[in-house]
Amino acid sequence: MFLYGFMQRAFQASFIISLIAPMLGLFLILRRQSLMADTLAHVSLAGVALGLLISINPTWTNILMVIVIAILLEYMRMLYRTYSEVSIAILMSGGMALALFLISLNQGGTTLSINQFLFGSIVTISMQQVWILYLLAGIIVCLYLIFRKAMYVMIFDEETAFTAGLPIKTMSILFNVLTGITIAIIMPIVGALLVSAILILPAAISMRLSKSFSSTILIGIPITLTGMLSGLVTSYEYGTPPGATITLILVTVLAIITIFKRLAKVFKTDKSLYKKQT
Amino acid sequence: MYYIKVDELAFHYEKEPVLTNISFELNPGDFIMLTGENGAAKSTLIRNILGLLKPTTGQVSLSPKNCFGEKLMVGYVPQQVASFNVGFPSTVLELVQSGRYQRGKWFRKLNKEDKEQVRRALESVGMWDMRYKKVGELSGGQKQRISIARVFATDPDLFVLDEPTTGMDTKSREEFYKLLKHHSESHGKGILMVTHDHDELRKYCNKHIELIRKEGLPWRCFSMDSCKELSKPHLSFH
Repeated sequence: MFLYGFMQRAFQASFIISLIAPMLGLFLILRRQSLMADTLAHVSLAGVALGLLISINPTWTNILMVIVIAILLEYMRMLYRTYSEVSIAILMSGGMALALFLISLNQGGTTLSINQFLFGSIVTISMQQVWILYLLAGIIVCLYLIFRKAMYVMIFDEETAFTAGLPIKTMSILFNVLTGITIAIIMPIVGALLVSAILILPAAISMRLSKSFSSTILIGIPITLTGMLSGLVTSYEYGTPPGATITLILVTVLAIITIFKRLAKVFKTDKSLYKKQT
Repeated sequence: MYYIKVDELAFHYEKEPVLTNISFELNPGDFIMLTGENGAAKSTLIRNILGLLKPTTGQVSLSPKNCFGEKLMVGYVPQQVASFNVGFPSTVLELVQSGRYQRGKWFRKLNKEDKEQVRRALESVGMWDMRYKKVGELSGGQKQRISIARVFATDPDLFVLDEPTTGMDTKSREEFYKLLKHHSESHGKGILMVTHDHDELRKYCNKHIELIRKEGLPWRCFSMDSCKELSKPHLSFH
């Protein structure tokens, strides 16, 4: 399996995604925007459908579409400040509706491509996509290293961040745009329906394991890598969709860790009660 | 010289007036307590002062410089921090250290002096021993204390505190007020604090603003009587 060019490219893509997913995922969770990734993925599908309809490389129409929606999301988040999930619901259903509308306009010949974007495919990862992923990872890692302190303060509390002099609106929009571009790029690999799971699950797992902020991201990297690599191998062996396989593995890891932590807590309480009695 | 200057401020939520005719100045070394009944728009006034809300009419100015000619640093402790409720994955030390970032450390490493300031801030609220604890595992009172430690770590010129002592016991409150008084008198810090403990705080602060409902105003609209001077500050900073 490792001799196949497409598998080598898939493994390279997995390494890169493992590096960036916990960073974006943690910020998304803490900004209470876990569903934003899903929204952007749905909208991405509309971008793909548009590209296929007007015969332009769907990656570019996809990126353009998510940038517009990422900016719109921030505006709507401010508009519905108290009920920020309203903006997510509106844009998610709007994006899906637009995607279905555009697909129906372009009947004949697009079903296969749309399926590829919906469920993801490791066979179709091109070397160009891998290079784009390398570039994206380079940009995200650099931005993280430069702005991690400012982002930490912003996600802790936006109002105190504002009084500390941070341009929170600009930072929020740039973060949304970066998340959107990432989703647009990794979507053909893992699929639109589950791309958000690949971003959110590793961070959700590492949040249960770590105490400090920086270690949450560091622990998230091997977790994503384990999920991605084992998912790819399983997907290759059994012919299952890669996105779905990776997600199921990560959900299983989360369940196991939650059960172990629960048991450890019960065991600890019992032990301290026994000590008190004796 | 002023740190905060509020001039004839009025604020409406959509079309409903909630604040009107608010004017006062906070100078270096001033320790002002802001009181009022529940729903008297105290936090709204604070948010107007900090630029989080825009006054409907009137003006709010924050001095761009402190009394030493450097950039004015503002330290804000809000009434509630949403992140505290969701188990923010951070240690107490990381959170309090983040208070130092606004002192030109967004892109630079914290130095010895920064770390020393963080240690002093944590010790002043009795949380140094808990520095490696996860923020989400703390009690309500402990979370409040680390919010205070964070603002002390910043060492701002202007403290804006919105009911910072909620969940603190009497002894801790007294110590906190003494510390604030020391900061205002010895270091020329300006302090604006929203509180319900006006009887306790009276002996530490030097001015009192009470938001009151005046006759003839709409039912939810509050104004201020005057900025009462309770004592002259004994400034000893240079």
